[in-house]
Formats: sequence, C-alpha cells, structure tokens
Amino acid sequence: MNCFEFRRKILASPRERTREREQHVRACAACEDLANEVERFEAGLHDAALVPVPDALAARVLLRHKVHQPARFGVLALAASLVLAVGVALQFYGGFPGEENQAAPAATRSEHQAAAAAISYVLDYEPQLLAENRAGDPGEMRQALVQLGLRLPADGVTVRYLGKCPVVPDGTGEHIVLKTALGQVTLILAPGRSFASREVVAYRDRTAIISPARAGGYILISDSQKTIRHLEKMLM
Amino acid sequence: MLFDSEKSKFETLVKAYSPELYRYAYWQCRDRFLAEDLVQETFARAWQAWDKLRDDKAAKSWLYTILRNEHARLFERKRVEIDDGQELNDIVDTASSSVYDQLEMRDALKALPASYREPLLLQVLGGFSCAEIAGMMEISEGAVMTRLTRARLALRKMPGLNAGRRMKAR
Ligand SMILES: [Zn+2]
Ligand SMILES: [Zn+2]
Repeated sequence: MNCFEFRRKILASPRERTREREQHVRACAACEDLANEVERFEAGLHDAALVPVPDALAARVLLRHKVHQPARFGVLALAASLVLAVGVALQFYGGFPGEENQAAPAATRSEHQAAAAAISYVLDYEPQLLAENRAGDPGEMRQALVQLGLRLPADGVTVRYLGKCPVVPDGTGEHIVLKTALGQVTLILAPGRSFASREVVAYRDRTAIISPARAGGYILISDSQKTIRHLEKMLM
Repeated sequence: MLFDSEKSKFETLVKAYSPELYRYAYWQCRDRFLAEDLVQETFARAWQAWDKLRDDKAAKSWLYTILRNEHARLFERKRVEIDDGQELNDIVDTASSSVYDQLEMRDALKALPASYREPLLLQVLGGFSCAEIAGMMEISEGAVMTRLTRARLALRKMPGLNAGRRMKAR
C-alpha cells in the first residue's frame, strides 16, 4: 500500500482497520500523523452528527402505531377507538350530573372515547411536548383552521406548542397548546375527520368539548369548561 | 394478522433505531420537525410492509432505505444534485488547528452538498460499510469512497492534504 492509497482509504473509511493499513502506518511517519489527525477529526464529526433526539420519540412512534392496532385497554387503546370506533364498552365517562353521561347512545360513544383518548394524551404526553419546546409549521396549522372554518384569536392568546397530533390517526391532526387569560387550553384540529355530534366529556381531571366543524372536527381540552367555552367563542 | 411476537419485535426496532434514524433524518432535511415526521412515516411504512422483512439482520438498512425513499418522495422536486466533479474545498472551510468546534462542524455538515453528506452520515451514524452504502444509494462502491473522501476533505482542510498532493505529484 502506498501513501496515496492509504490516504484515500483512511478518508473514505477511517474506522476500518486492515492489516495493510497498520503496516503502512508503522512504516510511514507522515501517514501516521494523518491517521492521528483523522482519528481526532472523526471524534468531532461523530459528536456533531449526534444532534439531540427529542424526548419520548420512540413512545410517540409507538403511540401512533398503536392507533392503528385493535383496541385493548389503556390510553393507547382509547386512541385506537378513534380509528376503529368499535363499541368497546368502556364506561370511563363519569362527567356531568344529569348530562349525557348516564347512558350514552352508541352513536355518541365513539365521540366520548375520542375525547377521553385526547384527554389522556394531554395528561400523559403533553408535559413532554411542552418541555421539548418544539415549533411546528404555522402554515399547516392555519390551513387546518381554515379548513375547519375557525380562526386563531390574535388577542390575549399565545401558542405554547404546535405540532402534529398522534391522537388523530391519519397524521393530519394538529396539536396546539394555547395560553389564554383563563388558563391553558389544548386545541386538536382534525381536518377530514367528522364527529357525529358535539359532546362535552369530563374525564380524569379535564373537560373536553369534541365537535364537528366545517370539513372536519376539533377537540378542546382544559381543566374547566368555562375556559374551553371562552376560547371556543374566540375561534368562531 | 400479526402475532404479538411480531409486534414486540417491531417495538424493539422502534426503540433501538428511532434515535439514529431521527438523526439521519435531521441531516437529510436539516429540520427537527420534519425529521420526526420522517421517522414516523418510516415506521408506519415499515409496519405496513412488515412481511417483506425476512432477515432480522437486514432490519436496520431496510429502515434507513425506507427513510431515504420517504425523504426523496417528499423532496423530489426540491432536490438538487450536485455533480461529483464540483470542487468542494471552496464550499466549506471551517476547522482551525485540531480544535473541532461542535457547532462549526454542524454548520459545515449542513453546508455540505447532499450527495456528500448522505453517504457520510450513513457511515458515521449507521455504521454502514462502503459496500452497504453503495447498495443503499445504488451507486458504485468506488463512487461512495470518492464521495466520502471528498466530504471529509471539504469538512476539514486536512493538514495531510498538501502533503498528499505532493506525494501524488511524485
Ligand atoms: Zn504513507
Ligand atoms: Zn395532539
């Protein structure tokens, strides 16, 4: 192996160790220097290539994946009900006295499940999303809003998080966390997904409004119904 | 219908490879948001085509290939290939002495033409051999080696470069 060959090989695949290379390095000081230089360079290159990976990435991949799987139990199964809308008899809504929680008809049951799945997602995953402080595509959000006939209020409302929503199975959902004067609200936009009816669902310690809208539907989640209605008015 | 063991195999793959696939995706599109979308899409497609994965050992290169195709599909129109003959030394000139500042290196990587960055990241992140990269990129192994060499020369004006040229001339 001559110096030129050695140079070409070490620059093309520095990590590869061959007998020929070892022999050349032992016999050639210039190439030994180069090998050391390349070694340091590779370490720097490797560090630079390892950009930080967002927290819970694998969990989000699996969550979205689970959405396409048959329902079983737990949060992921609740999300699955969005797709399958199978009548999984889960009596999780214990919400409003005298309201539709007594014996929800089958048609509204899938709305309840979707809302509950969304609430679970907000409670279990949103803190991670907020911690990531990631910026989504505002253009896509605006497009989704337009499609649903909604507008984002400019006054007194700030966007804390914007990203794709894994709760909406086909990947078109937008997940928006808004800060309003009355508190934090999560707005999930689901263009192209029609909900049969408008429902108010209390689950765990959140309340959700799930509603059909022009060419799609949306879900609003907050800790109080008052906050949700306050924001909803502004969206119209 | 797939069995539970297949599902847990899939989960294992997601957990094992999503970080490096994310990083590879990031260097493909240089956008954190798109990178995650690409990883999501990659696993969605992998699951759809799960029965095509015959050999577990091939899983990693299979996933990288899906991601590459997905990226190409999304960015086909925007993609500008730079021909191999371009003089790279002028494009990026960053490192000073032997101190490699991480941010500078990242900027340099970003500035590198895609056709050079791609095989380099397949090697650095994926640990693939030149032959494997050649297979994935559907170019010859020699072309891969050339691109890898040029990528490194471009990222760093190697101290050995001038010496190398002298040796070459000899
Ligand atoms: Zn030598
Ligand atoms: Zn969401």
